[in-house]
Amino acid sequence: MIGASISRWTMSYFAMALAWLFVALALMVARVGFPAAHLASPDTLVLVHVVCIGWLSVAMCGALLQFVPVLVAKPLYSEKWALPALALLTAGLVALLAGFLGLGGRLPAWLWLLPLGAVLLTAGFGLIVIDLGLTAWQRPTGPARFVLAGLASLCATVTFGAIFAFAHAGWAGSIGASILTSGVPLHAIAGLGGWLTLTAMGVSYRLLSMFMLARDVDDRKSSMTLAAGALAISIAVVGGTFAIWLSSGLNAVLSVVAVLGLATTILYGRDVIEIFRSRKRRQLELNTRMAVLSFASLAASGLLGVMLVLTGAFAAQLGAFVFLVIFGWLSGLVLAKLYKIVAFLTWLETYGPVMGRAPTPRVQDLVAEARASKWFVIYHMAVWFGTAMLLADQPSAFRAAAAMMMIGIVGIIREVIRTRQLADVQSPLRLPDGACAPHLLFARS
Amino acid sequence: MIEYIDVDVRPILRAGGEPFSVIMSALERLEPGQGLRLYATFKPVPLFAVMADKGFAHAAQALDAGEWEVLFTPAETKQTAFVPRAATFDTWPEPTVQLDNRDLEPPEPMVRILAAAEKLAPGETLSALLRREPVFLFPQLEKRGYRWLGGFSPDGTTYELTVRAPS
Repeated sequence: MIGASISRWTMSYFAMALAWLFVALALMVARVGFPAAHLASPDTLVLVHVVCIGWLSVAMCGALLQFVPVLVAKPLYSEKWALPALALLTAGLVALLAGFLGLGGRLPAWLWLLPLGAVLLTAGFGLIVIDLGLTAWQRPTGPARFVLAGLASLCATVTFGAIFAFAHAGWAGSIGASILTSGVPLHAIAGLGGWLTLTAMGVSYRLLSMFMLARDVDDRKSSMTLAAGALAISIAVVGGTFAIWLSSGLNAVLSVVAVLGLATTILYGRDVIEIFRSRKRRQLELNTRMAVLSFASLAASGLLGVMLVLTGAFAAQLGAFVFLVIFGWLSGLVLAKLYKIVAFLTWLETYGPVMGRAPTPRVQDLVAEARASKWFVIYHMAVWFGTAMLLADQPSAFRAAAAMMMIGIVGIIREVIRTRQLADVQSPLRLPDGACAPHLLFARS
Repeated sequence: MIEYIDVDVRPILRAGGEPFSVIMSALERLEPGQGLRLYATFKPVPLFAVMADKGFAHAAQALDAGEWEVLFTPAETKQTAFVPRAATFDTWPEPTVQLDNRDLEPPEPMVRILAAAEKLAPGETLSALLRREPVFLFPQLEKRGYRWLGGFSPDGTTYELTVRAPS
């Protein structure tokens, strides 16, 4: 087989990811974790890992299993690993969360659950990294390089996380304990900045230019963006580890990383603006319009970060900053692209075999963008309102924002299910002879 | 003694093109008992499974600068099952349909190519200009028994695709 076929389990990854996002929002509404609890509390650890592993990482893995073969025009190294990887990630996350709940006294303190979770998560992410890495490595150009940098960052993130998990259980000795004491920012930077952000940037370059009929960003320009981002992550991981080893404090390292991170954001902004300027397609689809809202959140995160550093309030307002990065920028972009990917894959799966032989609907006929837009807008408004309420230290109003985000998410999930069910396709075109209706949770291949 | 036919796809790969069709057409020209010596800019791991299906064992050897030489040797048991076909790309007729799909939004180029391909008479070809490598089109063409040849123009802005209906 040549080219890219439909990844069988991408829908399963998306479904699992959306379920975890729902759990995360329910936790926030129910006042579990930050801001109701301290930033470093076990409850906050539960919330953060539900969002970062359950929602963002699982969604990203599902998207990459489909997208990396498209980027390099080669089949996935092993389609067979996708489902075991999802099972390992899910089991690992559940064990990890149970361990955190034990740390917080909500469950019996079975601290061995944390290393168990770490081992399962390492195995799951390991399968993903090898599978995607070997696929991307066949033609490591353009956006594929961002994915490779993201995968390298994922390895660093998982390594730190595993050390923390073993240290919590008391199995990592004094070195593990000192890494646990000071290494949390490095774990977060490698995960949010390296794995999730660099990968999302790489994927967005290709998707944006594809759907707007724009030129691909010049390789030299995107290389600069990638170089700045990769340098930031390398300095955080390597420099930060040295700083912990020398017990010299992380401030110098984190300052350099912050400057490089800001530079990466600005360079990425320049590249994205160029894609929008050179586009041949004036009318934008929902996925692009909603991606713009997430770019606005990324820009706002950069500005907010600078302002907080200048006013000396960064440490105190770290929660608000991370909230905007996670829910405005990363989640916003993932949701917008997920909406499009589901529609496209469902269309290809259902109508690909009969295309040219029978009249088929267009991809746009599978979605109702006007109806879906309002859920996305509600979600983004709620995120910005929530960020403002965190900055203003208004926990009750923040809960209201989380509830509003939940309404938006439920609406988006309903739209995605309708797409999968072909519910919006008019009946003569809906299932031509030879086409068969897709399953909700996986693709027929 | 196996005689090996050389196929060097390094120039195609360096130009960003897709050598699969070239390899397959070389394969079809092989006489019984002949093997294929392939030169590529990377280790063509996915090809190994394809060639194994067609009854070829592989032996890969790394050359300088990350390049690879791979020997595909017909397995004794499969030799009789492999019937070389006479058709080669040299005998492809001029395209009967020419499509310029460069300014269509995805997936419209794929829809039009498949629709036009369905109208081809046996053995006829169509050509299409695209902005990107049509990665989702290839599996559909393969399932329908079409063959194709494609690659980017030297300036890298246009992908030129020729599709031939099964004869």
